[in-house]
Amino acid sequence: MKKTHIPKLDDFLGGGIPGGSSILFCAVPGVECEAFGYQILNGNIEDGDKGFIFTNVTEPQNIIYEFNKYGWNLEKYLEEEKVFFVDGSSNFMGVPPMGKYTIDELSQIEGIVLKAIDDIPNGVGVINNLSTLLDYLDDDKIIEIISKWNKRAKEKNTILVYIFTKWDYDPKIIENIKNSVDSVISLTSIEERVIIGQGFMVTSASWTTPSKNLVLFFVLQPGGVKIYIPKILVTGPYNAGKTSFVKSISKKSVSVERMAMEKFPTTIAMDIGHVDHKGFVADVFGTPGQERFDLMLDVLAKEAVGAFILVDSTEPQTFARAKEMINKTQSEAIPKIIVANKQDLPGALSPEQIREIMKLDKSIPIIPTIVNENTGVEEALDTLLNLLYGD
Amino acid sequence: MIPTIESGIPGFDELTISEISEGGIPEKSTTLIYGPPKTGKSIFCNQFTYHGLLKQEPCLYLTTDQSLKQLQSNMMEFQWLIMNYIQNQTLYVIDGISHLSGAKLEETNNIKSSSVANSSDMMVKIGIGTRSVYKKSNHFRSVLDSINTLITFNPDQMVIRVLKAYLRRIREARGSGIIAYTEGVADLETENILKSLFDNIIRLDGKNIHFEYLSEENDEIHNFEATYTITDKGFVIEKK
Repeated sequence: MKKTHIPKLDDFLGGGIPGGSSILFCAVPGVECEAFGYQILNGNIEDGDKGFIFTNVTEPQNIIYEFNKYGWNLEKYLEEEKVFFVDGSSNFMGVPPMGKYTIDELSQIEGIVLKAIDDIPNGVGVINNLSTLLDYLDDDKIIEIISKWNKRAKEKNTILVYIFTKWDYDPKIIENIKNSVDSVISLTSIEERVIIGQGFMVTSASWTTPSKNLVLFFVLQPGGVKIYIPKILVTGPYNAGKTSFVKSISKKSVSVERMAMEKFPTTIAMDIGHVDHKGFVADVFGTPGQERFDLMLDVLAKEAVGAFILVDSTEPQTFARAKEMINKTQSEAIPKIIVANKQDLPGALSPEQIREIMKLDKSIPIIPTIVNENTGVEEALDTLLNLLYGD
Repeated sequence: MIPTIESGIPGFDELTISEISEGGIPEKSTTLIYGPPKTGKSIFCNQFTYHGLLKQEPCLYLTTDQSLKQLQSNMMEFQWLIMNYIQNQTLYVIDGISHLSGAKLEETNNIKSSSVANSSDMMVKIGIGTRSVYKKSNHFRSVLDSINTLITFNPDQMVIRVLKAYLRRIREARGSGIIAYTEGVADLETENILKSLFDNIIRLDGKNIHFEYLSEENDEIHNFEATYTITDKGFVIEKK
């Protein structure tokens, strides 16, 4: 087993990647994917293996520069002949090629990459980028080439890492490509009008039953791929039940509160909890409902990937305040749902009535709940997660 | 009335007044501006950009024909000074060409270097860029000048795929986008596909400007035509 050197990924893959395997990083356009290939290569070179980078998207000089920005010294490895380039870019860009192998015309790619694989038994080869080949070659031809490379890599116990951007190709060819490799890692985006987060998930691995958890990541320079635990915001007007909601969706939670008018507790700083639901983990932050704490909401909203906005269904006079809070999350482009709490109390308005009064767009779901009885809480959680990650 | 934004081109907004529009470019739409070389496409784009900046509308500018330096000096010829807007980050530039000349662009929060041959990387930066301008204002503009270089370095099909992803991104974020293209760079078939991707089309031939858009309001194609000149103030539509 070789380590991927990507945080969490080795755990999901049952310890790492067996020698001779092929692994495909399949990215939605706009999601960072190159760093995954480079990080696996860099880590394994540090572990003493050999490797190559096939590039048809940018010249080797730029890749060296990129590595530098990550804080990895590719130049040194090149000098020590631990790594070499298969330069499939320079000649097409009209700049002097650089690397052990260079490609002058497309027909050479298949053979030259085979040679490169032969040169690094037990090593790691990165193919960046498979999608750039796709529009130059026939669909059948590309599958044939991948199969030949993978077969040779298997013989040499070399790992091949393919970087692939999933433009609007025929779904059939994408399926065929996925079926040609041992493991597929999907790189997806969390969007609300714009990309607000990126995540990876193991879709398949021939050697193990992978855990299909979505992990959020960002790419740091220097540093490379880092994972993070997303923040989810729970907000809403005063006394809507935010603290109870945080408690009921979290395994553990703490609250900073004090007795308002010495009668009932109100949150004065925040509630903090941790959600672990169907393979999704997140830290939950409940904000105080009172206006004098809006500064907290501003700060938390900037970092959140999703928000629950709680309203007391029996208190329509607080809806204007809730709307104000929705607008705040709107401007930060965060997916959100309305949790219509206290549905058991007399005079509780239905979700439809609430939508009407608040003049809310159909795109924002409203979930009826009785947080104290744990009714509708799971549905609220599922609805928001669905908004975030789709199916 | 359909919502519009000011083009910044003297005479253009007056020209495009109709029963359904107060004139200007339909808001949150995408426009292809095309024509033979040297007909003023870039000047139109830059004027559109600068006018937006004056009105505090941020702009995501993807430059692939000329480096950011060249872009700055070309705009300076018309007294369109963009330095301040780069500094206050209302102008977000992705430079897809500088690195080809060997120049290493100093990257900042809103100046990014990419490569016309690396569509994946370009799309990543477009994603980050749209987020940045979107958060500044939900009235942002977006310019891509031009598709030509993309076509030179990529198969036509790939360029179409990238454009689709790019336009989807702009539409999703509700920006108003203008994309320039020089007639004849791609073959006729690709050119027709290109045109089909946009909400509005502007054609320039050096003397005449022709603008057409499909209105969802009455499902009609609206056409406008006029003559134009390029002066030291930029692109000007001549009065009839």
